[in-house]
Amino acid sequence: MTRGADSGAFLGSARELQKQMVDRYYSSLQPGNERKPVAYMLVGGNLAEIVRAFGYEVVFPEIVALTCAIKHTSLDYILKAEAMGYGLDVCGYVKNDLGLQESGGETVFGKIPPPDLLVCSFSGCYVYVKWWEALAEKYGVPLVTFDVPYMRGPTPLKEDMAYMVAQLEEFISKLEKITGRSLDRQELRRILARSRAAEEGWVRFLQRGRERPSPIEAYFEAVFYMFPINVLRGTQEAVDFYEAVNRDVDRRIAERQYPVPTEKVRLVVEGVPPYPHYRTFWDFFKSWGAVSVAATYPKVGGLFDRGFLHDPARPLESIAEYSLGAYVNQSWPLRRAIIADYVKEYEADAVLIHGIKSCRSFTAGQGDLRDYVSRELGVPTLYIESDHQDPRYFAPAQVKNRMDAFFESLEHRRAVSHAAGVV
Amino acid sequence: MVGGKVRGKSLAPVGVNIVQDAERSLELALQDAGIPRERVEIVAGTGYGRFKVHFGQFVVTEISCHAKGAHHLFPKTRLVLDIGGQDTKAIRINERGEVVDFSMNDKCAAGTGRFLDVCANALGYDVADIGALSLTAKAPMRITSTCTVFAESEVTSYLSRGKRPEDIIAGVHASIANRSISLLQRAGIEPEVTFTGGVSRNEGMVRELGNRLKLPINVSPTSQYVGAVGAALFATERVEAGPR
Repeated sequence: MTRGADSGAFLGSARELQKQMVDRYYSSLQPGNERKPVAYMLVGGNLAEIVRAFGYEVVFPEIVALTCAIKHTSLDYILKAEAMGYGLDVCGYVKNDLGLQESGGETVFGKIPPPDLLVCSFSGCYVYVKWWEALAEKYGVPLVTFDVPYMRGPTPLKEDMAYMVAQLEEFISKLEKITGRSLDRQELRRILARSRAAEEGWVRFLQRGRERPSPIEAYFEAVFYMFPINVLRGTQEAVDFYEAVNRDVDRRIAERQYPVPTEKVRLVVEGVPPYPHYRTFWDFFKSWGAVSVAATYPKVGGLFDRGFLHDPARPLESIAEYSLGAYVNQSWPLRRAIIADYVKEYEADAVLIHGIKSCRSFTAGQGDLRDYVSRELGVPTLYIESDHQDPRYFAPAQVKNRMDAFFESLEHRRAVSHAAGVV
Repeated sequence: MVGGKVRGKSLAPVGVNIVQDAERSLELALQDAGIPRERVEIVAGTGYGRFKVHFGQFVVTEISCHAKGAHHLFPKTRLVLDIGGQDTKAIRINERGEVVDFSMNDKCAAGTGRFLDVCANALGYDVADIGALSLTAKAPMRITSTCTVFAESEVTSYLSRGKRPEDIIAGVHASIANRSISLLQRAGIEPEVTFTGGVSRNEGMVRELGNRLKLPINVSPTSQYVGAVGAALFATERVEAGPR
């Protein structure tokens, strides 16, 4: 039961760049700075390009919430929301945001400005719809809710595409009325071209997990690098960032700086991370020489590695296709297929599923997924549960016990196979 | 353990000083075996306090240990149910006693030994006596709460309504058996099933599980030590493999 040593050295200049980028973004939102009007949007199937073309800055309260959680401040906001009357089982993102809004938007990383526009771009979660309605009531700002048809097949249906494009046209008309300006379709195409360039760079990064040993951590590290593909998509800053990340990965390979010094277990990870205990959770992986080579969660802002890229030549059609294809908008058979493909393409040894108590739209079905992967694919699978926002749902000793037992059994079986000459 | 056979054992409650309690337990086991400390070649730590066994050479989770121990005692075992103080585990194993899959209870104490302790105390019984008591039940009550604290209130409420303790405790057993069977189903039910951990000493629980599973259940007279047996077997393998 030898353990891999911790290695943070692989996180080089790219991680530093990411921190600076996050700081710049939140600084730009501070009062006193000349800032653009703010559109609140949800990550899944977001319409960042359209609102950017109208001069809005985008704020994703889900990302603000996870940043609060990773900085260990989410519980304060959650308790505030519970004191307002939101129940224990209400989504942690929602309670974090509503508690934060009640606190005047103050966070340890800056003040979050109130919305000028609310766009509910993902309606697959009804709790999210109610969240946006609560914000609309509090701030009295325009609310636009999209009705996004659920994806039951690998490609969108023609009628679903037409329905989405019609909603986008209606959205544009509404924004033209609100802002008093017409949509600059050329500007939208330029933004989409930058989105596409960033997406290509992001995909190049993600697919490095196919190498052995993996030069990237496709779950914990990728979560850091999701920020620009979600928050800054459509900007040159995001394009430049992924070029820098990919240069950094090339350096790692040249210098043999890997996420774990000796890669022992290659994992596909499904589910939202336990942000309040992010480092502790990551350390559990490292202690067993386990590296994530592919993960579904970093794709919640777009399944770009599965072939979709925004297309400036088909602006509204490609935005519609993007919205329909959001990871959480996919049926369970489609989500299963993605995981099965990742296991094969990335030569993974096992799958780890992290379920979160307060999000049924992401988590419901993961029990069946576990059975599918372990029984039908024959791939060892561990299911653990805590929460993405609420630190009260994470029991470190129990999570560690389950993970230790899982990795222990993988290691033991591997030792037996080697002894028997089966590699 | 000497030559694959258990030579001495001890069972002691663990308090706030885990390190001291573990030391004391080792001393008692050595006294039981009649072996001096100097002759101990290797010690394995297991359980939630495994990292506190500072005098040990390595640690293994109790999940692997219960699998190995149960397989050692009952080689045809393919599914192990371990109900301990704070955890319930269903562990599916292969023909070599290796863990293939496992399911555990949620982080609360519902369906664990602690649940049984609390309910026994509410009835004014010692947990060691309720197994035999439950076998005399005529009309088991239904315990619906999934929370240990609320189940205690439910037990108290039945008592105040004049229900018989044996019927209430049989209901508590049924409630734990239901939760355990859900875990066993998640791991995949396969004969033979071996029941380990402190709760396996309770004959009422063994009967309840057997009735619901419609399968015979292996229970060793030393079922509380199965995890320790597994740890000792892992240690023996290390000694036999020689220095690495």
